[in-house]
Amino acid sequence: MAASEPVLIVDGHLDLAFNAIHHRRDLTQCVQVLREREDVYRDGVGASAVHPDALRKKPRSGGMGIATVALPELRAGHVGIVLATIMARVQMPTSFLSDGMRTQAAAHAIGQSHLHYYKALERAGEIDFLRTAHDLENAIGAWSPTSAKASADPAPSVGIVLSMESADPILGPDDVQAWYDAGLRSVSLTHFGSNTWGHGTGTKGGLYPCAYPLLDALRAAGVALDVSHAADLAFWQLLDYWDGPIHASHCMCRALVPGQRHLSDDMIKAVAERGGVIGMVMAEPMLNPDINFDDLSTAPAVSTRPMAAVADHIEHICALTGSNSHVAIGSDLDGGFGREWAPVDCDTVADLQKLPDLLERRGLGGADVAAITHGNLLSFLRRVLV
Amino acid sequence: MEQTPLILDSHLDLAFSALQINRDLTLPATSVRVLDSVETQQSYGSCTVTLPELRRGRVGILCGTVMSRLDPDDLSTRTGMYSQLQCHGVGRGHLAYYQALERAGHLRILRTRSELDDVADLWQRLENGPDSADQAGGPPLGLILTMESADPILGPDQVPEWHALGLRMVSLSHYGTSTYSHGTATDGGLLPPARPLLQALQAAGILVDVTHLTDQAHWELMDIYNGPVCASHHNCRALTPGQRQLSDDMIRSIAERDGVIGTSFDSWMLDPGWQRGLSAGEQQSEATLRTVVDHIDHIAQLTGTSRHCGIGTDLDGGFGTEQAPRDLNTIADLPHLVPLLAERGFSRQDISGIFSGNWLRLLGQHWLDTL
Repeated sequence: MAASEPVLIVDGHLDLAFNAIHHRRDLTQCVQVLREREDVYRDGVGASAVHPDALRKKPRSGGMGIATVALPELRAGHVGIVLATIMARVQMPTSFLSDGMRTQAAAHAIGQSHLHYYKALERAGEIDFLRTAHDLENAIGAWSPTSAKASADPAPSVGIVLSMESADPILGPDDVQAWYDAGLRSVSLTHFGSNTWGHGTGTKGGLYPCAYPLLDALRAAGVALDVSHAADLAFWQLLDYWDGPIHASHCMCRALVPGQRHLSDDMIKAVAERGGVIGMVMAEPMLNPDINFDDLSTAPAVSTRPMAAVADHIEHICALTGSNSHVAIGSDLDGGFGREWAPVDCDTVADLQKLPDLLERRGLGGADVAAITHGNLLSFLRRVLV
Repeated sequence: MEQTPLILDSHLDLAFSALQINRDLTLPATSVRVLDSVETQQSYGSCTVTLPELRRGRVGILCGTVMSRLDPDDLSTRTGMYSQLQCHGVGRGHLAYYQALERAGHLRILRTRSELDDVADLWQRLENGPDSADQAGGPPLGLILTMESADPILGPDQVPEWHALGLRMVSLSHYGTSTYSHGTATDGGLLPPARPLLQALQAAGILVDVTHLTDQAHWELMDIYNGPVCASHHNCRALTPGQRQLSDDMIRSIAERDGVIGTSFDSWMLDPGWQRGLSAGEQQSEATLRTVVDHIDHIAQLTGTSRHCGIGTDLDGGFGTEQAPRDLNTIADLPHLVPLLAERGFSRQDISGIFSGNWLRLLGQHWLDTL
């Protein structure tokens, strides 16, 4: 096949601000600059001479890996529209997950620091907030292959739809409208552990009673519900109660990889029945069937799978739902891991542009590939952004 | 027993303590010490400042900082940033923390002179008694929003927005070199963006804090800016040598503008024998609350009045009990200064001024009654 025009990639889950604020990465710089700046190299703790590419010599430290995501790479890879998270949660900090906050006030404040980092990026002309259908269509137009802007240098700015991973930063139902006005359009109630609103990954249980008034407020404001990171009981309680737009921004198939973090076949069918989309994650523990996500000590230090490993999950979801309209990309690159757990052929987020070709080689048709790389998430966003 | 006057602490990094050190400040300090990890305690010391401790110490009003700076080489706390955009994000998070505390009823952010006067009155009228400030229904804690290093302000055009959010005092630099000026441990002066920022701060009625400027930057600022100045947490170079402290000439230059200098409780600024390079937990520091009084007294003797003296402890500003006066357990011990100041000859009225009156005077002069 001849080399084709780059296509728009829509990524349903990237923790951009978390990396800027928590890992102090200046995302306006390219990935190589971020790597040279990483604390682990600057320290000189017996490793000063180690090259960033020497993955095996790097200990995993506090959920930080080697950077793969920065704005220049997003633009270079035509990852032009991103659901970018507010990510802060209430959880006892541990050595494995050091970013949990002790109080909801603190989680709210960290969430606001993420929001205002995005606003500062917008002020600097690096990104555009997409809050309305009009904003969305403008961004789609700017990145369309026929647009002069898409191939121009500099490339168009990255459009971000504000999302939230764990709803701890929302102080109560009366705080929802302020977040909506700021641009928030998708929320998952939980993340790791059990938080203000209910049970999440690694715990067993459902929603807390206070979750229902929050869901009412989210629904009334017009925010979509992301079921990623819900514990099983919480997942089904969410689906029983919620009648609005739903998606799983970054989830894989439990039938193919073990662990509560992934969606069972019944869950996949339930999300699809609501017209939801499921974002494919570019992370070793989500792709390797030998890793049980419930016990990440089973994970190898470096990744073993290529990006095309998501094709198995795509085929599974398409077969299960009888449709190609429920799969998307939710790479989660740099989402608590780095280069070492990204697929072996994914050096930076710009490599997501290889996906169309890789998926076609796996036998997916052109229409399927377009739906997965951008079409399905754009249809979903068109329902949410008014 | 005479009532301890209201204390106004002109420099506390509360939001940094809550967000970057990750402490629940609604708990007593003893509980925070139990919850802090070993690594946290080694890095930041034993907790001394929480909301209940402030109330017990009658610190009814405090300047709470927004604190984020450009400092890629900050390998000790790893919170220094590479770009101003990141500083802005962190800074707005600090403000949001104070707003969340206000929403939950833990404190009030003071934006106008009448709000400042109201809270001061409530504390000053408080019945004498050891625990009355700590009881439910006690006076509210008042917080004045201040900023240590102006990096979170993205430009002069953003100053009115920060003022509307409550910002009332700003220092241009911190450690290292900020967007606007050289700061502590560097050589150099103001940078070109400082002048338009200073003009915008003056126009908005935001006090300029000269703390953490280099000597050159201090004198350049005094030269190009004619508005009110203060030093939120600063000690005397005549007693503790080093660039971080104010020379006698600098103290006089602040007093000439009728400014106030908050004396800091950080032992490396109090104890000339402090050994940089030795951890706080291994020092046998000589600094006590009497040493704090030495610095207050030096400013008073130099200027011939106590009206430029204040308290700006900086407690929990990256250090804990181990690097504070050794007779201080938590910030609730500040009232122990009363007899120490009295035995140095300060009158009841002087002490009341040092504790809060001088700061209230300075702030009252420059704040507007409307937003």
